Amino acid sequence: MRDISLKVEPGELVVLVGPSGCGKTTTLRMVAGLEAVTAGEVRIAGRLVTGLPPRHRNVAMVFQNYALYAHMTVRANIGFGLKMAGMPKREIRGRVNQAADILGITELLDRKPRQLSGGQRQRVAMGRAIVREPAAFLMDEPLSNLDAKLRVEMRAEITNVHRRIGAPTLYVTHDQTEAMTMGDRVAILRQGALEQIGTPLELYERPVNVFVAGFIGSPAMNLLPATLDSSGDAWYASVGGSRLLIPTKTRAALQPFAGHDIVLGLRPEDFVSTEDLREGAHGVIQATVARAESLGSELLVYLTMNDATTLPLTVRLDRRAALQQGAPTRIGVDLQRLYFFDPKTGAAIR
Amino acid sequence: MTRCPAAQLLRVVAITGIGLWSLAPIGLGVATSLSTQADVQAVPARWLPRHAMLDAYRSLLGGTGDVRAGGTVSESGAFAHAMWNSASVTLMSTLSILCVAISAGYAFARLRFPGRGALFWAIVATTVVPVFTVVIALFGLMADAHLIDRKLGLVLVFVSTTTPLAMWLVCNNVKELPTEPEEAALIDGCTRWQAFWHVVLPQMRSGIAALSAIVMLSVWGEFLIPLMLTSTSASKPVTVLIPEYVGKYTTNYPLLAAAGVLALLPPAVVALILNRYIRGMLSGSS
Amino acid sequence: MRSDAPKRQVDTGTASSERISRPVDVGAREATRVGMLMVAPAVIITAALVIYPLVKGFQTSLESADAAIGGQPRFVGLGNYGDVLRSSTARDAIVHTVIYLALAVTLELTLGLAVAVALHRTFRGRGIVLTILILPWALPSVVSGVLWRRVFDPDSGLLNSVLQQLHIVSHPQVWLASRGWALAFIALVHVWGVLPLVSLILIAGLQSIPEEVYSASAVDGATPLRQFRHITLPLLRPSIAVALTVGTVWAIKIFDEIYVLNGAALNTRSILMEVYNTTFVNADFAHGTALAFLLTGVTALFAGVYAVTFGRSTT
Repeated sequence: MRDISLKVEPGELVVLVGPSGCGKTTTLRMVAGLEAVTAGEVRIAGRLVTGLPPRHRNVAMVFQNYALYAHMTVRANIGFGLKMAGMPKREIRGRVNQAADILGITELLDRKPRQLSGGQRQRVAMGRAIVREPAAFLMDEPLSNLDAKLRVEMRAEITNVHRRIGAPTLYVTHDQTEAMTMGDRVAILRQGALEQIGTPLELYERPVNVFVAGFIGSPAMNLLPATLDSSGDAWYASVGGSRLLIPTKTRAALQPFAGHDIVLGLRPEDFVSTEDLREGAHGVIQATVARAESLGSELLVYLTMNDATTLPLTVRLDRRAALQQGAPTRIGVDLQRLYFFDPKTGAAIR
Repeated sequence: MTRCPAAQLLRVVAITGIGLWSLAPIGLGVATSLSTQADVQAVPARWLPRHAMLDAYRSLLGGTGDVRAGGTVSESGAFAHAMWNSASVTLMSTLSILCVAISAGYAFARLRFPGRGALFWAIVATTVVPVFTVVIALFGLMADAHLIDRKLGLVLVFVSTTTPLAMWLVCNNVKELPTEPEEAALIDGCTRWQAFWHVVLPQMRSGIAALSAIVMLSVWGEFLIPLMLTSTSASKPVTVLIPEYVGKYTTNYPLLAAAGVLALLPPAVVALILNRYIRGMLSGSS
Repeated sequence: MRSDAPKRQVDTGTASSERISRPVDVGAREATRVGMLMVAPAVIITAALVIYPLVKGFQTSLESADAAIGGQPRFVGLGNYGDVLRSSTARDAIVHTVIYLALAVTLELTLGLAVAVALHRTFRGRGIVLTILILPWALPSVVSGVLWRRVFDPDSGLLNSVLQQLHIVSHPQVWLASRGWALAFIALVHVWGVLPLVSLILIAGLQSIPEEVYSASAVDGATPLRQFRHITLPLLRPSIAVALTVGTVWAIKIFDEIYVLNGAALNTRSILMEVYNTTFVNADFAHGTALAFLLTGVTALFAGVYAVTFGRSTT
């Protein structure tokens, strides 16, 4: 882990996201005190807690596999932290009932964890966290063991509970959709380093580098090798035999790359079909339809460019778009939404 | 393999054979213990007694004064006392071994401290050394510490010879447990020790049941160690007393068998109650 | 439930001066302290009651036996080991032990395989059969000796009685006085106690062989016998190695059964019995420990050989 500086504001939910092995869970465990920090500091609620054992950090954590105490009832599971804190039994009972009420698990309180379904276990794990009213919540992929439908439900549920309680929350996931929908801000990690942190919209609109650009968005952004032609007033990005006019506002940043290779980023959702194409607003790309998948509301189209490079291109088009497999077609791309990256460093140019 | 009648038949034969092989000697022992000397000495041999008698048990346990067992004279109450010695030494040893082995096994599996690897392997390596070698070497030390013919001495020796293996088994058992509940407990406000006590220990229940059964059986059945370290009824366990009932020329078989039957009852009960755990641990490790 | 102050995590590798020193990790320190406390009893007991006596014992085995008669012990190097190997009773004991070992291990493996094949699949009542199976192992070996003793007794023995009724022998045999029969019968009683353990190990081994392997070979037309020879046995190698090691370790230290069935008689004396006799009956600790260490070495050697031969061919 290196160079991570991250601050979670009160009431905020920050998601740590990245490919597996990127260090997101390690970061979370360092905040919890389960993993040693070799350099740097950790503060929770303004208090320096670096090096303190977990029990002195006043945090609660929800684990991927829930980590319920198999030998205790749900009630004892939720109340365990309070019991360890020496709270009187009656008060524990009240607090556990209240937490169970929030999560809708009141009727499960006397069961053992093995008698519960995955979703119910998840709720118990949440209950165990919220009942302690900690200074911060840590969640380590809490939804990854649930099936798809339940995951969407619990996503909303966790967001609701978080709104209600308002404690700062650090949430780890490898699922970028989960990150984008749940996070007030999202931090993207790769190989132990923080790549970018920002609101979901910021990450989508202004990725700082190729990695973030490719990671955020589904399907992923098309990243294509292109060359920058500057012929007088009109600047073009040449890619796969097509030329895309570059808006004047980005020219300043692109100055050093004039006549050189760059990486051009095109989001699949920024394309339009031939019918909707408006000269001036859209650049035109000549390509051949390799395959089209209907998602109902829209079409996911895989194309290859018509020139010798046959670069692949993934685009999302209106479901009414008339396309024929194997046929050459003209599709338009929103010229205001071109992304440029330095081919050597991968950094965004803007 | 398909189920053909021949294979089925073969299995029935095999299972009957296993049952006979395991139970017949025990049954014979029970029958002998209920016999009289007349039954035992009858020619041709009488496998079952004419009339089941509890005389052998009575003279073994009862207060009828000296009991002539073959060539040996057995003082009354000696057998009951030996049973008590066996039971108390077994219980004390098992409890101590469990405490020492569980605490060390857990710490080696989960906690980081300097010298962990070296200490672990030093202890585990001693399991290669047969127990008797240790005990012969220990004998001088025990004599110096006046621990010969003392139950405490026996317990100490059993603890020292059994702990390394028990600790190793515990360590493997703990490593198979998920770490998350323990970490959840640490975050929930537990100290390391509390997390071990409230969360890890309850998870180990079946492993501990198996371990305690195996330790109990092995300590109860131990013969050579107490033979070397005990001499009077102050500490002599039942396994050491029983061979004394074997006469030089003739043997009082009913008495010997009754002693054997009484000595096999506690381990048999343990094996019957905890057999599921024992089987799990024996087939898994050893 | 709210916290007003912000939470922040800073982890900077390119640190300013006050961050270069490692932060004191109270949590790790606590783990260290608890860890050392928890292993302390085991470490102290092992060091004081196993390792130290072993070192002392080894030292004794290198000194002359004079201490037993009140003299000053002299360093004699491996002299005691040589004496022991030259003594005829010790040599006999070694031969007897090798015979016990060979008989016991052969019987345990063949019978154990048969038991395992019969019991490794689930059937109704399997739990009860397995419970009965482990019973002999659970009993003290002294008791096994007692239970079997009446069978071999020359006067009131059941074996003699049966053989006489069948007219196989004409008059009662003193079985335990003849060296051959005595060794065989003692090995049998020993096997009675150890077979359950070997069987359980082999059953676990058989259960770990996936059913598909058999189905596949059955499709290929293999007969059950060929399946056993070419699939079961090779895949069972690791379990057989464990069973062989366990069987060897138990057989090599055979003592209790002999003591109960035949006392310290010379015709059936095992190495361990010779160790016991030398040390405690003759009070000759120097030669006793020397023989004990020899036995330890042989045991370790056997375990090592099995581990190497079977370990290599299975990986």
